Order: sequence, then C-alpha cells, then structure tokens
Amino acid sequence: MSSAAAIRLQVEGSLAKRVPAALTLKTKQAPELFSTGISDVDAMLGGGIPRGSISEVAGTASTGKTSFALSTIAAITQSGAACAWVDVSDALSPESAAAANIVLKRLLWLRMSAERRLRVTDKPWPRLEQALKATDLLLQAGGFAAIVLDMSDVLPQHATRIPLSTWYRYRLSAEQARTAVVLLTQTPCANSCAALSLRSEPAHVRPFSSDGETALYEGQRYTLVRERNRNEGSMIHQKKPPMRAEWPAETLWSRVR
Amino acid sequence: MYAVFYPPNFAAQVAAKQRPELRKRAFALVDGEPPAEVVITANQAARTAGAEAGMTKLQAEIIPGVAVVRRIPEDEVSALAVLHMVACMFSPRIESVENAPGTYALDIRGMNGLFGDEAQLANKLRQRIMAAGFLANVAVAQNFDAAVCLARGKNRVSVAPPGHEAYALRDLPLHVLNPTMEQAETFHAWGIRTCGQLAALAETDLISRVGQAGKRLHLLARGAAPHLMFPMEPSFEESLIERMELDFPVEMLEPLLFLLARMTDTLLERVKSKALAIALLRVVLHLDGGKQHKRIVRPALPLEDKPTLLKLLQLDLETHPPSAAILKLELSAQSAAPYRAQHGLFLPQAPEPGRLEILLARLRKLLGEERVGAVELKDDHRPNAFRMVPFATPPPKKSEEPSFSVATALRVCRPPQAVSVALVEHAPVRVFWEGQRYVVHEIAGPWRVSGQWWSEANWCREEWDVRLKAENAERVCRIAFDPRSRCWYVQGTYD
Repeated sequence: MSSAAAIRLQVEGSLAKRVPAALTLKTKQAPELFSTGISDVDAMLGGGIPRGSISEVAGTASTGKTSFALSTIAAITQSGAACAWVDVSDALSPESAAAANIVLKRLLWLRMSAERRLRVTDKPWPRLEQALKATDLLLQAGGFAAIVLDMSDVLPQHATRIPLSTWYRYRLSAEQARTAVVLLTQTPCANSCAALSLRSEPAHVRPFSSDGETALYEGQRYTLVRERNRNEGSMIHQKKPPMRAEWPAETLWSRVR
Repeated sequence: MYAVFYPPNFAAQVAAKQRPELRKRAFALVDGEPPAEVVITANQAARTAGAEAGMTKLQAEIIPGVAVVRRIPEDEVSALAVLHMVACMFSPRIESVENAPGTYALDIRGMNGLFGDEAQLANKLRQRIMAAGFLANVAVAQNFDAAVCLARGKNRVSVAPPGHEAYALRDLPLHVLNPTMEQAETFHAWGIRTCGQLAALAETDLISRVGQAGKRLHLLARGAAPHLMFPMEPSFEESLIERMELDFPVEMLEPLLFLLARMTDTLLERVKSKALAIALLRVVLHLDGGKQHKRIVRPALPLEDKPTLLKLLQLDLETHPPSAAILKLELSAQSAAPYRAQHGLFLPQAPEPGRLEILLARLRKLLGEERVGAVELKDDHRPNAFRMVPFATPPPKKSEEPSFSVATALRVCRPPQAVSVALVEHAPVRVFWEGQRYVVHEIAGPWRVSGQWWSEANWCREEWDVRLKAENAERVCRIAFDPRSRCWYVQGTYD
C-alpha cells in the first residue's frame, strides 16, 4: 500500500464517526427519470426529466411550454402517481389537461389568482408569494411525483427577483421528497439550482391553411433546446444525446379530422 | 329471573301527570288528524261514564262530564325516558316490551346483593316508579313472558317462584296473553276464560284447531314460552359528544385549542375502545350574543391520529374564525371503520392520507376553499366548463390511456380579457391587447358556438384562432366576439 493510500485510510478512519468516507469520491447514482411522453424530447434528455430535482423550461408565449408540461404530467399520472399543478395565473385549461390524457383525479390543481387582473404589468407579488408558499408546502408534505410551478405569465423582471435561496430550498426539498419540480417561466430564474434547463422556441410555422382549404388551426411545431443537464455526465449516457429536439403538438379537432 | 313493570293505561297516566287539572276529572284522550280524531284511551272515571277506545271525538264530547283532551306524543317520550332511567337504576340489562308502551323487562340475575330477594326488589322498583309519578304493576318470574303476563294481569307486586309460573298464571284472564280478536272469540265460544283453562287443553288438539298461533298461546299460558332477551344499549354515536362551558368568554383560538385537544383525546379513546376511527368532527361554538358558530371537519379517510385531527380543527377554525367571544364549546364525532391499506414497495408515489389532509387544509387556508382540489369536467358544451372536487388520491393503479399525439394546450384568461379589434370585411386584422398592437398574421374562423338557449343562462359567441405578430413577439391566440355585448375578448393563448 502506498503511503498516500495509507494516510487516506488513517484520515478516514479517524473521521469515520463524524464524516463517513471523507476522502472518497461519492459515486453519482443515475437519476430516476420520468418520461415526457414525447419520444424526440425523451431521446434528447436521455430518458426524460429527472426525479428529485428542478427542471426549468423557459420561453415566451406560444412556444409549447404548457403542452410539454401537460404531456409530462399525463405520463406520470398514467403511471399511477399523484402530481400537483401550481397555477400562478389560473390559466390551466381542464379541457387541455383532459386532451393530454392526464388522469384528472390524480392532479391537485392550485389556482392562485382570485382578483381580476387589469394589466399584465400589475405587480403579481401576492399571487407569486402564494404560489411559492404553496409549492413549499407541497414539497414538505411529499408524496407528489411531480409538481409544476407554472409562472409562464409572470414577467421576467418579476420572476428573476425571486431570491435564489427559494430555489436552493426547493432543490433540497425536491431531492428529499423525490419529486420532480417543473418550472415554467419566460426567462431562466432558478440558475444553478435547476438540474435541467430547457429553452422552448417555436419551430417552423405551420400555416393555418394549405392548398386553398378552409383555414384551420391544426397545431404547431415547437423546439426544445437543452441548455444544461447536470445528469449527462453519468456513465449511462456515454453517447452524447442531441441538444435540440423538435416536436409537434396538435389541436383536439385535428385528431378527429 | 326477570322483573317486569307495567304502567296500566300509560297514555292516560302521562296526560294526568303532565296536566294536574285532569287528575280528578273523567277524561278521554284523542289522537289522529282532525276531523277524524278517535279516542285512544280514557281514565277509569271516563270509562265508567261510557267512554271507550275507538269512539270518535264527537261521540266522546257528548258524554256528560268527560273532558276530551288531545294526546301529546312528546310528553309520552319524556315519560318513557323517566321510566327508562328508573329501570337503569335496577339493572344494566333492560328490554322494552313490544306492544306495551312504558313496559320494561329487567334482567335481575345477580341483583340480590344490592336490592335483596325478588319480592324486595319488586317492591323497591314499584316504590321508585311511584316516586317518579307513575302507577305500575311489578311482576317477577323465571320466564320473561310469564313475568309480562303477570304484570299485566295482577295489580301491585306479584312474584312467581321458579317452576311455578303456570300456577301463578292460572287465574289470569285470557287477555293478558294478547290474543287476536278472532282467537279471543273462539276461546270465549269454547268457554275458556282463564290461562289455566287454556293450559289444560291438549297442545296438539289446540294446534289442529287454532293453528301454530295456538301453540304460542299455549306456551304463554303455561309460562314456558321461550324468549331471547335483546337488551337496550345506549347508542354509541350519541355518546360521542363532549361539552364544556367556559368560566369567562374566550376570544383567542389558541387557549381554545388546549380544550379541544382534551376533548378530541376523550372522543378518540371512546372510539378506539370499539376499534373505530373518527370520520367527522363537528364543532359548535356558542358565542357571546347567543349566536352559534358551527364547523364540520371531515377528513377524507377516518383518522385515529390526534395531532392530525387537532391540526385540521385548528386550520379550519383559523380559516373560518368565530365572530364573537366563545362562551361554550361542543365537540361531537362520528365514528367509522379505520382506514387500512396494504402498502407495497413497488407502488407509485402518492401522498400519505393523514399528511395530505393537513396539506389540503393548509392550502385551503392559504388560497381559499374553491382554489384547491382536483378538477372534473362538466357535461356541457360551454368551453372550459368544469367544477372543483376535493382531492383524494385514488388507489395507485396504472391506467392505460390510448396514446395520441401531444395536444396543444390553451392557456385560459380568467376572466377573459377585453381587447380592441380592427375589422376588415368582418374579420379581425389588428388586435390591441395589453398596450401592444398586434397584426393578425393568420386567421381561422369564425366558429360560432352557443348553448343553453332554453334558459336565461344562454350564451353565444364567435371564436377565431389567430396568429398575432407584434414587433418582437408572436403568439397564437383564441379571440372571441360576443354578439350580445358587442365586445371582443381574448379567451386564451395556445402554448
């Protein structure tokens, strides 16, 4: 045994009661993943969104954030687990949720806004505060496989003012509760606390009518760009997955067509 | 051994007890819906004067000197409660005798040490009933029905020694056996007047003539009819109540919670003794000024956990605080079989029922009653018709839904936001929304929808799907035109 190894053993032995394996690197476990229900996105993410950490999806309006989150929640609720949707702007459409095949009984919906919003620039602090507190309570109680914190309508100047300590607290709570926190925002705000950071963008525009048919909105193509994934360094992802995935979303009536 | 007390003419006794002016008068009690009221009973004086059960009210009124009074069922209920209480003093096992109001049978086995022998007990029982304001015959016998027949047939106290029931019943008239009219007429025609004469008949001959009912009458007359006693038991649910009066009015909830904790603990102990759990807690706070503040806490699953129940009570009272100081509090519970679940290692993640209840109560306090829960779609054509239902995790079970392509989600504006729209040939070309000017790049519509035309809540609108473009923003929205208010508004954004 080399002297370095002997010293290491000696140090670890003396610290064993206080810090177990103080000088040995902790092997990182491959995180459990939840499928998003979109095969292209799953392929990009190496299987889905990670459980027990924060996944952030940022993008402007009409870039598919809500459709992506609904598809993910649908896949999780269909597996039998319970999920929660913290709706800062009270914007979730139950019809869209049902169309995404979410098991509605397994989705706890928390609706924040009670008062009439006059302008979008009005200060959303009371609603945001309620939402952050409600998410805290959900994470502390545990038992939810995924929690979506939907801040899509909160302006970037407000969302970025949420203290970093909040996201840090969420990260720890999510890890303990084994809950996937999905954050929908206009601009990234969880910074380094998000294990997975995605940017959503519109893909090429699909026209309402083609070949002179009656105009009909049939769906949209969206792009998800992977900006950061803490879990990609794990051994199971030897082959680097693509950084960008394009996926389609269809309206309910185009399915019938 | 059974002791039976029988207050003869119970309804008349109750009426005379409640209305002292009737005690020295002849009176008949009437009951029924006016004008078809009939006499149900009368006291001795009235019967002597000619009043009898079954007469109409008019017939009774024309008998001179007989007062006709209406029966009050509430008085009889309270009189029964008094008699029941007296019976409870002598035995824990009591049965109310059928078809004889006010008659109770007491199982007096093992009561000798407390009340002396059978005769002494019967005398003490009769004295206690008389002290409560009723006249009653008391009979003691080994056989239940023999004791009932003796009490009905003999005045004051009668004791039949074990094995001598038939002898004791020998001289009693047949009506103590409660025969039907037809049977009474048959026996009368045969010249049988007493129980002894009936008991002397051959059983098989009697059955061949009267039928199986004859067998029962024969057994009764011999004092040998079998009877399984069903003792009355106080209702368990009614006992799950705790009351407390406060020395001085309390305005703060915190000191109240100490009392509620104690009361919840007592209720839980009572419930747990029957291997049950608490399914519902009802708090009634009597407030200063005479008002009552009632709250009901109903956990999704029956709970046995005191901290959880107490936390639910606290959160509910904090969400709905009383309007004045509290003078008296009352806590009642409803019991149910406790929730048992077999957990598995490989079952999907779901919140723990107890913790979930508290979480939901906290969230309701934070956001409001209607803002927390699961959603249920209504069977309605109106877009976005839904109702909130309480969230309770269903049993973890995989559901195989048919897989479709990903659906485009609509982010709904609640309430819909009014916008200004510039039209060209009845179609929107520009939209002014949130201080921004959007150009309609693509448009699909109008989709005319309406509903509930048969009621006042009828609605109609023209919906358009539009791709809006501003200088640096693009969004696909659904805008709608309401022809009634002639107003344009944004229903939501596709995202």
